[in-house]
Amino acid sequence: VLHVDRRSYYAGNWASFTFNGLLSWIEEYKQAGPSDEAAQEKVEEGEEALALSSLDTSITNVEVFCYARYRGNTDPGEGHLSHPKMSACETEANAHLCCCDYSQLMYSRGSLVDLLIKSNVSRYAEFKNVTRILTYRNGKVEQVPCSRADVFGSKQLTVVEKRMLMKFLTFCLDFEQHPEEYQDFSVHSFWDFLLTKKLTENLRHFILHSIAMVTPDVCTVEGLRATQHFLRCLGRYGNTPFLFPLYGLGEIPQCFCRMCAVFGGIYCLRQSVRCLVLDKESGKCKAVIDSNGQRISCSHFVVEDGYIGLDQRKNVDSRQISRAVLITDRSILPSDSEQQISLVTVPPVEPGSPVVRMVELCSSTMTCMPGTYLVHLTCSSSGSAREDLAPVVSRLFCIPVSPGEESKEEEGSEVPSVLWALYFNMRDTSAVDRSSYDLPSNVHVCTSPDAALGSDHAIKLAEAVFRQLLPEEEFCPPAPNPEDIIYDGEGPQGEGPGFEEADPAEALPSQGEVESAERQEEAEDAGETGDVAKQETVAVAENEPRPASEE
Amino acid sequence: MHGRVKLKSTAQQEEEKRKEREKKLKIYVTARDAVFAKRKNGMLDDEALLLTQQLLSSNPDVATLWNYRREILLHLETIREEVDVQKMYEDELSFLESCLKVNPKSYGSWHHRGWVSARLPRPDWTRELGLCDRCLSLDDRNFHCWDYRRMVVKMSGVPVDQELQFTDRLIGSNFSNYSSWHYRSTLLPLLHPESPEPPSPCHQTHHSPPTSPQSHSHRVCEEQLLKEYELVQNAFFTDPNDQSAWFYYRWLLGRAEREEMISCVFVSREEERVAVAFSRPVNVSSSGLMLVLDGQPQRVEWRSVHPSFKHSPVCICELPPGTISDITNEHNLTVHWTEKHTHRDCALYTGRSVSWCRDSATDQELFRSELSVEKTSVLQSELQSCNQLLELEPQNKWCLLTIILLMRALDPLGYERETLSHFQTLKEVDPMRGAYYGDLCSKFMIENTILKMEYAEVRVFSLSDKNLTTLCHLDQLLLVTHINLSSNQLLRLPPQFAMLQCLEVLEADNNAIENLEGLYHLPKLEDVSLKNNKLSRLSDLQPLASCPKLTRLDLRRNPVTQLVNIESELAELLPSVTDLLL
Repeated sequence: VLHVDRRSYYAGNWASFTFNGLLSWIEEYKQAGPSDEAAQEKVEEGEEALALSSLDTSITNVEVFCYARYRGNTDPGEGHLSHPKMSACETEANAHLCCCDYSQLMYSRGSLVDLLIKSNVSRYAEFKNVTRILTYRNGKVEQVPCSRADVFGSKQLTVVEKRMLMKFLTFCLDFEQHPEEYQDFSVHSFWDFLLTKKLTENLRHFILHSIAMVTPDVCTVEGLRATQHFLRCLGRYGNTPFLFPLYGLGEIPQCFCRMCAVFGGIYCLRQSVRCLVLDKESGKCKAVIDSNGQRISCSHFVVEDGYIGLDQRKNVDSRQISRAVLITDRSILPSDSEQQISLVTVPPVEPGSPVVRMVELCSSTMTCMPGTYLVHLTCSSSGSAREDLAPVVSRLFCIPVSPGEESKEEEGSEVPSVLWALYFNMRDTSAVDRSSYDLPSNVHVCTSPDAALGSDHAIKLAEAVFRQLLPEEEFCPPAPNPEDIIYDGEGPQGEGPGFEEADPAEALPSQGEVESAERQEEAEDAGETGDVAKQETVAVAENEPRPASEE
Repeated sequence: MHGRVKLKSTAQQEEEKRKEREKKLKIYVTARDAVFAKRKNGMLDDEALLLTQQLLSSNPDVATLWNYRREILLHLETIREEVDVQKMYEDELSFLESCLKVNPKSYGSWHHRGWVSARLPRPDWTRELGLCDRCLSLDDRNFHCWDYRRMVVKMSGVPVDQELQFTDRLIGSNFSNYSSWHYRSTLLPLLHPESPEPPSPCHQTHHSPPTSPQSHSHRVCEEQLLKEYELVQNAFFTDPNDQSAWFYYRWLLGRAEREEMISCVFVSREEERVAVAFSRPVNVSSSGLMLVLDGQPQRVEWRSVHPSFKHSPVCICELPPGTISDITNEHNLTVHWTEKHTHRDCALYTGRSVSWCRDSATDQELFRSELSVEKTSVLQSELQSCNQLLELEPQNKWCLLTIILLMRALDPLGYERETLSHFQTLKEVDPMRGAYYGDLCSKFMIENTILKMEYAEVRVFSLSDKNLTTLCHLDQLLLVTHINLSSNQLLRLPPQFAMLQCLEVLEADNNAIENLEGLYHLPKLEDVSLKNNKLSRLSDLQPLASCPKLTRLDLRRNPVTQLVNIESELAELLPSVTDLLL
């Protein structure tokens, strides 16, 4: 496997950035890339070149607003951000901003987590549980009670509502067993079904927007299935159904790259493929020519949608996603702990406006500086990102009057201020069929991040492409344990020095010692991030009981 | 080729594992034998400490090794400086932590930790509390840890309010936890004790000595109780099938201890006998009963009503012959319960053959249900909440049972019909406990009948056709002369039945009675009807022979009537019976 990427980072539109990395990413998209001619000289007889697009058009409408005052008054562009929290973002190398990926969160059950566990790729990443599910209702941000403990502890619900909610959720958990409850509603919408369930208005809101996370018009069974999925994910790793990988979801593609590299994959960054070399007779891609003019033979070519030129697209019409990334100065719903990771569902603020999904990350997720919060807003586009999302931002946050001016520090004000904001649109090609591309059969196209929470589409696509490449092989088999790998030229491992003869006190390989050594490592790992990451991280693994001691 | 991955085969891996295991076992056994040898030789040195540590760290459940370790530590304690002792025990604690990771529920490890913590010259209790919190966050039902934590809290004097917050936190994260609720029930009375003036009308016991301080020590002030009701309601509305919350609720709703008193003194001139009923069973021989007749202490022999009881709520004694037999004399009796510093008087007036003294039902709470100490208004609103839940969960047994108890505490007679229908539902939704509900329902029906009898001021107890499965509260029937238990599901007349010292007529037709043990020395019993029961052996009728006045006996439709020679056998067994129906 040879992995060539014209960017200086992994994972393309799935990547996460440091703040400085993000600033250069923005610059990159503001400038039009140089368009160069395909390197024709390497193409031989009986072949033809097929140029790849050198200009990525998947990101549009990039707008940046900085509300922190610049120190150098004369030229804002070269000055430094003076807001203490913002300048920290600028200088601290470990302030990661996960930016482009749409979904941001992972369901704690589902194809992505299953794959991470099965393939052992999870060993390269650390995760935290999302700590709370919030929603915006009647002009207020409220916590959504979704787990049993939440429902018990909720102050907004009456005891009768608690019972009704628990009863409904318990039913959803195995709704297939009770078809009599919903089959009359098979042609009706989920919302109509909820209306018949004696649920109060706020319970219906919680269930529709924050638990099922569907639109009112989806059919009953789909709504029930979505609710069920949410509930099944609850409690696996914590009190909400979602996981967040430390440093951002951009870590996940990198982890797969790392696994690939460990087993022989070769990675070249800052090197792009200019064109494909097609065999005229078979119409297949037999080689590629890179930006250095080097010809590389290949039997298959896997490429991201963004590299495909307009000529190869039969249907250019694709959906768009509106995204906003904010840095704020406090949490949207302050609580005992500063370290909350919140998913906020915002129903249409006005009739016809989109449902917005918001994720607020605290500093222990390693995505922002202590004292600041990183907020992602996402919705399906109806206009530009700013048109879609600014109304929500202005309702939930305090936006300083003009860029460059700090918001008035109102003591006791509960609403967080926006320090910095980025809006952009992103092409969502997940619904584009392979047949919409005019490409040789051994060229496989990957889509950009899609509109759904979780990454099911991407996993499914990856597996489908893999099946085409290697129909006989298992997709992402478990990586072997290091001790089971035999390296060529190495003899059998030597025995330990004089184990049997030694004084038993010396030689007893106590499990305690071995384990404590491991724990030491863990402790050190934790130590690195300890001051920021106060919360515990979640190891993604099957929840199997520890095997009993073999002795 | 470089970097090419080749894997060991499964067989290879298993063979390696097997060898590894064998090697480990060999080492383990060698070390174990070495340790036992050293202990035998009384060697209490560092090497032994090291060896036991290695063994225990792979298997922390060998009590012998922990004992040996303690011997060594105690010895080292005597020969080391305090600084070193501190260090030694601190090392022990960190070693124990690794053992707890191997098995977080090891008896040996937790016990040893408690021992070490208690011996540590300068203990760090904050650290120990932190360890407990960590363990409980991993498994909030680890009772070893709960036990150890209790010790830490006691030793370090953690303030009660902090502990209450601790239970708040645990219950908040998972309310299905008996340990947390129970711990709460021990903390609340300390933090929010009930005000010294008991406001509840149920407590007005003006004629009896003040209740002991212990009976108030586990009550909680009303303000806090209301908060607790809210908390626990949140739990059982969230999950009505979780029983831990229901049990806590029952505790909250009250747990009155019955006042200890002599509830009734009965004296019969004819038998020259005194019968005394107590609020709880007493040990006849050791409770210090004393009878004073007309100012003169009497030497009498107290006994229980049936030889099978040492403890009984009814005791009897015979007076010396001739002391009260003259009907023209008036006598004053006093029974002292010296153990409880209480007594009761009874006057036997001229011309009367019997006399008794007791509180009437309006005076005393006959059946102080454990819920009834609460104020009526509070109970009423709790009943409303439970009824609301029942509407949502009509099949929930916990809710049904709690409603029954609340109704009994509020108005046992007024709610009788609803109570019976709830019992019916309970038996349907929880058939596994049908017999329990049957017995409980019998108990409540008997209580109600006793109350009705008290209000009517009669000595007739009638409870036929009510599905009774058991008899209880028979001590309350000391004065009853006529009893009707026909058409129930009784299997026996238990020994407690002998407390019915005044019984003259017994009707118990149409039951499944096969045992008459309780018809024992009933001095006034004349007429017994046991039609259609399961009496099958002559020996089952033996107890009747002890009733001197029995003249009429109806045994129709009992298997025993089919025995050959039954008539003559009975005539021999029960010579006093003149009217025998077979």
